[in-house]
Amino acid sequence: MDGRLANRWRLTVNEKKFIETALASNLRIDGRNPLEYRKIIIKFGREDGSSEVQLGQTHVMGFVTGQLVQPYQDRQNEGMLLIFTEFSPMAGPSFDPGHPGESAVELGRIVDRGLRDSRAVDTESLCVLSGKLVWAIRIDLHIVDNGGNLIDAANIAALAALLTFRRPECTLGGDDGQEVIVHPPEEREPLPLIVHHLPVAITFAFLGSEGKLVVDPTHSEEAVMAGRLIATVNANGDICAIQKAGGEGVPQSAIMHCLQLASMCAISITKKINSAPWDYVFCSKSNFIL
Amino acid sequence: MESERDDGRSPSQLRPLSCARNVLHRSHGSASWSQGDTKVLAAVYGPKAGTKKNENPEKACIEVIWKPKTGQIGKQEKEFEMILKRTLQSICILTLNPNTTTSIIIQVVNDDGALLVCAINAACAALIDAGIPLKHLAVAICCCLAEGGYVILDPTKLEEQKMRGFAYLVFPNSIVSVLPKGSSHVEG
Repeated sequence: MDGRLANRWRLTVNEKKFIETALASNLRIDGRNPLEYRKIIIKFGREDGSSEVQLGQTHVMGFVTGQLVQPYQDRQNEGMLLIFTEFSPMAGPSFDPGHPGESAVELGRIVDRGLRDSRAVDTESLCVLSGKLVWAIRIDLHIVDNGGNLIDAANIAALAALLTFRRPECTLGGDDGQEVIVHPPEEREPLPLIVHHLPVAITFAFLGSEGKLVVDPTHSEEAVMAGRLIATVNANGDICAIQKAGGEGVPQSAIMHCLQLASMCAISITKKINSAPWDYVFCSKSNFIL
Repeated sequence: MESERDDGRSPSQLRPLSCARNVLHRSHGSASWSQGDTKVLAAVYGPKAGTKKNENPEKACIEVIWKPKTGQIGKQEKEFEMILKRTLQSICILTLNPNTTTSIIIQVVNDDGALLVCAINAACAALIDAGIPLKHLAVAICCCLAEGGYVILDPTKLEEQKMRGFAYLVFPNSIVSVLPKGSSHVEG
C-alpha cells in the first residue's frame, strides 16, 4: 500500500531523460511517431446530446442540454452557448473537488473560444421570441480520466455532443401570437442545432532544449514539455483560435509549421466526428462485435 | 395482485444489470454499473495520507464526492454523498489504515430511476477493484410503494414519479471473499 500513498504524481528524473533522449531519435514512448494522433473512439449515450470520447487513455464525457431563458440585453436576437468544464477528481490524484484550477479554466476558455467566436453554432436560429425568450445551450464537459491532451479530447466531446443534440420545436401561438408553445418530442420531431463548421483543437508540445515538436502529448510528455501550442482549425483550413500561453519561446517558422500540420490533422478528425453518429448506430443496432 | 408495468416487467423483476471494472487508467480502482438505462461510473483513490479536520485520525476516513450529470452541486448531491459515506463506512475495515483518506468519486452518466442504488453498487464494485479490504459487499435495491398498495422493485424514472413512497435497502453479502480475476496469477 505504500506506493499508493501518493497524493501527487511526480515524474522521475529517469523517465524525463528517457522521453527526451528517445525523442532525439524520433521515437515516442508509446511507439507513435511525433506527428501521429492516438486512436479516437467516440461513443454516444442513450439521450440526445451525450457523448463519450476516448483519446488513448484520456476519457471525456460531454452532455448538452437546452433551456429557455431571457436573452442578454445587448443580444436580443441571439441564443446563448454556455460551456462548463469539470475536472473531476476521478481524472487524477491532484485534482481538487473545490474551485477549478487554472488548467480547468484554460480548457474551458479554449473550447468556448473555438465554438463561440468562430460562430460554429448558429445562435440566431436559437431565438424564439426576440427580446423575451431564447434557447440557452449548456455544454457540460466532465473529464473522467487524464491520459494527457485533455483539450483536444474535450473539444471533440463537445462537438460530438452538439451534433447529436436535439431541441424541442417551439411555435408561437396564443391570442396575441406572443405565447410560446414548446412541443414535446412525441408531438413534433425535435430539431438539431445548426452547426456551420467543426472547429477542432490540435495540441502541439515542445520538448527538450531544441524544441522538438510532438502532436497529442500523453500525460508523461505533458509533464516534461517546455512549451505548448494549441491551434483550433476547421476542415476548410480556417484558423479559429491559437493559444500559446507561456513556456519556452518558439521561432515563427515553427508556428507556421504547426498550423500547416494542424490543418491536415483537422481534416481526418472532422471526418471521424461527422461519421461517428452513423458508425455508432450501425454497431449498436446490428449484432457485430467490433 | 399482478399489474402491468410500462416496460412489461413483473413487479419484482429487475432491469438488466451490467457491470464493468477497471474502466479508468489513472484511478486506483474503477467500476461502471448500469441498471437498464441508469448508468453510474465510480472511481476510487486511496488510501491517501492524512484525514480531514473533523475526522477521527485514529481510523481510516472515507470521502465521497458526487458529480451530477449537469448543473450545480446542491443539497440533493450533498445528501447522496452523506448516505453513501455512511453506507461505505459500515462495509470498509476502518481500523486497518489509520489516518488515511480513501476517496470515492461518483459520476452520474444517465439517470433513469434508482440512481442512489446504482451508485452504491458501483461504489462497492470500485472498492473491490481497488483492492480496499472490505468486511462484506454492499448490495442495494430500490423498492417502492405504488398507488394500489403493492410493492415494485427497481423503478424507472417515470414510475418513480408516480410512487407514494420508496425505500432503498442495502444488504451485506455473506460471500467469504471476492478476488478480482487475475489477481491469483503469479507469473514466475
